Amino acid sequence: MAANKRIMKELGDVNTNPPPGCKITTKDEDIYNWDVSMDGPDDSIYKGGKFTIAIVLPKEYPFKPPTLSFRTKIYHPNVTNDDRGAMCLGMLRAEEWKPPNKIADVLKLVRAVLSAPQPDDAVEAGIADQFKNDRKGFDKTAQDWVKKYAK
Amino acid sequence: MDPPQQPNLRVTIIAADGLYKRDVFRFPDPFAVATISGEQTKTTGVIKKTLNPYWNESFDMSVFPTSHPSPASSNHSPRRVTEESILAVQIFDQKKFKKKDQGFLGVVNVRVGSVLDLDAGGDGEHHPSFLPLFFLLRVLTEVEMLTRDLRKSNDNLVVNGKLILSLSTNLRTPIANGNAVQRPPLSSAGASQNGTSTPNPAQSTSSLQNDRPSSTAGSVPASRVPTNTTSGPPALNGANTSSRRNTESGFSAFEDAQGRLPPGWERREDNLGRTYYVDHNHRQTTWIRPTANFNAGEQRVAMEQQQSAERSRHQARMLPEDRTGTGSPDSQAAAPSPPPAAAANQASAAQMVATGATTAGTGELPAGWEQRHTAEGRAYFVDHNTRTTTWVDPRRQQYIRMYGQNAGAGNSTIQQQPVSQLGPLPSGWEMRLTNTARVYFVDHNTKTTTWDDPRLPSSLDQNVPQYKRDFRRKLIYFRSQPALRILSGQCHVKVRRTHIFEDSYAEIMRQSPNDLKKRLMIKFDGEDGLDYGGLSREFFFLLSHEMFNPFYCLFEYSAHDNYTLQINPHSGINPEHLGYFKFIGRVVGLAIFHRRFLDAFFIGAFYKMILKKKVALSDMEGVDAEFHRTLSWAMENDITDVIYSTFSVEDERFGEKVTVDLKPGGQDIEVTNENKREYVELITEWRIQKRVEEQFSAFVAGFHELIPADLVNVFDERELELLIGGIADIDVEDWKKHTDYRGYTESDAVVQNFWKCIRGWDAEQKSRLLQFATGTSRIPVNGFKDLQGSDGPRRFTIEKSGEEAQLPKSHTCFNRLDLPPYKSFEQLQQKLTWAVEETVGFGQE
Repeated sequence: MAANKRIMKELGDVNTNPPPGCKITTKDEDIYNWDVSMDGPDDSIYKGGKFTIAIVLPKEYPFKPPTLSFRTKIYHPNVTNDDRGAMCLGMLRAEEWKPPNKIADVLKLVRAVLSAPQPDDAVEAGIADQFKNDRKGFDKTAQDWVKKYAK
Repeated sequence: MDPPQQPNLRVTIIAADGLYKRDVFRFPDPFAVATISGEQTKTTGVIKKTLNPYWNESFDMSVFPTSHPSPASSNHSPRRVTEESILAVQIFDQKKFKKKDQGFLGVVNVRVGSVLDLDAGGDGEHHPSFLPLFFLLRVLTEVEMLTRDLRKSNDNLVVNGKLILSLSTNLRTPIANGNAVQRPPLSSAGASQNGTSTPNPAQSTSSLQNDRPSSTAGSVPASRVPTNTTSGPPALNGANTSSRRNTESGFSAFEDAQGRLPPGWERREDNLGRTYYVDHNHRQTTWIRPTANFNAGEQRVAMEQQQSAERSRHQARMLPEDRTGTGSPDSQAAAPSPPPAAAANQASAAQMVATGATTAGTGELPAGWEQRHTAEGRAYFVDHNTRTTTWVDPRRQQYIRMYGQNAGAGNSTIQQQPVSQLGPLPSGWEMRLTNTARVYFVDHNTKTTTWDDPRLPSSLDQNVPQYKRDFRRKLIYFRSQPALRILSGQCHVKVRRTHIFEDSYAEIMRQSPNDLKKRLMIKFDGEDGLDYGGLSREFFFLLSHEMFNPFYCLFEYSAHDNYTLQINPHSGINPEHLGYFKFIGRVVGLAIFHRRFLDAFFIGAFYKMILKKKVALSDMEGVDAEFHRTLSWAMENDITDVIYSTFSVEDERFGEKVTVDLKPGGQDIEVTNENKREYVELITEWRIQKRVEEQFSAFVAGFHELIPADLVNVFDERELELLIGGIADIDVEDWKKHTDYRGYTESDAVVQNFWKCIRGWDAEQKSRLLQFATGTSRIPVNGFKDLQGSDGPRRFTIEKSGEEAQLPKSHTCFNRLDLPPYKSFEQLQQKLTWAVEETVGFGQE
């Protein structure tokens, strides 16, 4: 459909030139629902894990931001520790989203946040506290979760 | 077992959404099979090649009650029914139906009539085969709309999607199963919209009568059919992303991270993904989560307190022209001391305007008048001729109020002077008396009449810059028009407080528009009292709370805050919605006609639409701030390689995806930098107007039956808001107390001047400033501390911004006023007046 040309173009781009560590598929013919399989970045404690991330593009895309949720459980101060696994940072925020942003940019942002959690902008205050004050404990739980959920 | 009885339940299988795609290369041809406890098989037609079939087929079936509704049940408490019949609806793919179990696409089981969790909480656990049963969506009392996730059967084939069905005990209207792929047939009430005749009362009310115990067919109560659902609002949202998110949260609609909601409560998300709570016990919605140690009694008390606070605010509203003002006797307004030229403070001046009180006259009262006293001992006057009350002594009618204001000093005086001092009337004017001895004026030049003395200044003071759009003058003109005169006779409306929506619908739709223009006499069932004004005020207050309640899915809260209203684009979930929109239009017209106010405030664009004005991108701010922001971005930036849209939009209607052209052939026209202005214009128009065109046409048809379009057009959209909602007496101290400053401090001279200026303004000017800064003149019930912005609570904020030569600006999303650092009081007053006065439209960016 012509209205989705932008999404089709982005899909084409990520298939020929996928963002580092990412594999993207769509459900059936539904180009509004992307499934991303992301490798934990090598420079992060999530190294070795494989994370499934669901991206939902709104009908109004790119006038509205996509929503992103980790389907694989992950121990991270910027990802909600619930069934939603939501991440809402930076350009993903409704008030900061701009139409020229692309899903590939969003995925680069996610990888950057995996490598460098943002405890001051956390959605899980408890995990953020631990990240700041008990880095060892945080790293251990995060790695345990990678082994447990992200293999 | 009892022999099968007369059918007593109408099952309408409306649609399914997002069925599982079992084949890679082809879509299923779905049809549905309904049974009651394994019997009475009914089958819908087959819809070809879709995952989102729309059937809208109805079947009359019988359910077997095992006991009768408890006689103790009242209208407010959920009825206790032990209805054990189970309705099962299965979906199959017709192409594969013959192969055993191959075509199965999901099943929904509904135990009809069970309300266990509503009363006892957790009752569902006694019935392990079912999740706790609740009804999901109750669109008026006669129909239960259910949206349920399809479930697997024993074979464990993957199942996806939802089923939308409705249950009704109203079997009187014939089933109109037309071509299954067409839109639902218009309801009887909706169908009458095009005709000039009044709807047949028997038809238009039949569906509502089911809620009345006496007329309930069979023994299945009409209301409260429960369902076991695991998802929130998809019935309303279709494929909206928020519903997707909600489904993913893993919580049912009756629990969240804090645990289970109290019995009868449900969690839902609205069109913007905001969570709200539905109290099915009281048919209310709220943004606040009911607490765990929820106490029904306490909650009722709290709700009553809330309502009485809302009521007193509602009754304190007025318009500049209202002589009977704030509702007379029960008003708390203090009696002003009115000797000529007496200095009064600003507050009592406002009351003076509001109440139009005068000193006691001498001699006999005119015929049909009576003097009474309030409990506080204040005198008021009853005009039995017109059945109105007023503080104004009719014997003092020759004394005309005159408001004077010393602009420089900020003090105001109220002067009352005999008419004779004003000199002769202008040429062509004549003064007359009504049969109740009230003075009015005839302008033979324009063949109009007015209560307003043409010799008096129309505004507070001629030294103050006059309002360009003089609301008071317009109001006088508007109300003096023949089309808005009360006809002789009476219009009786009798309603039950507990069923005010249903009863009012029946009463108001059965009467002709001309009948509705007669003197309105409201009577509440079981209550004594003649309507001398108070009852009709109460009527419009209660009714506006009911009919605009998002619970009924006719209106929803806008993105701007959690109280301004807009038409719910998905209101079609209620097949009778157009009839209700027409009714609501009539009620809004009725309130204006009879000079009463509704306790309802709409998005700015809604008022513009009533006035047939073009909606603009700035109106989007109140509808969808996010979209407004990105569309504005597109207007200002190069969209090459960013926007690949065409002049079309995708819309979802009951799970059916449709592409709508924004202009002829729009699907094939690319949006470019050259034509993006037109695109933004068209998509704004679609989003705000076209999407709810059907509903709005029905609304405005009802409205124009009482208020002619050419008359209401004298007002602008802000004035129309004031006309419908009235002007509140704004508490400046409360306002100031809950104001934040950015770049200023409270002690700055500019800020001091700002508040001095506001205090000097009358109620209308204050309301207009509020409209300018926040987008609506509504004040939260509990005062300015509860002011909301598009992103949650947002206090009123004054920001230092701009140059002295510029006008103040506003950001209605954030309730923010950008105030340049004006040097003098006079400059500030002038600029502020100018900005508030001159700016057209809401949402100034």
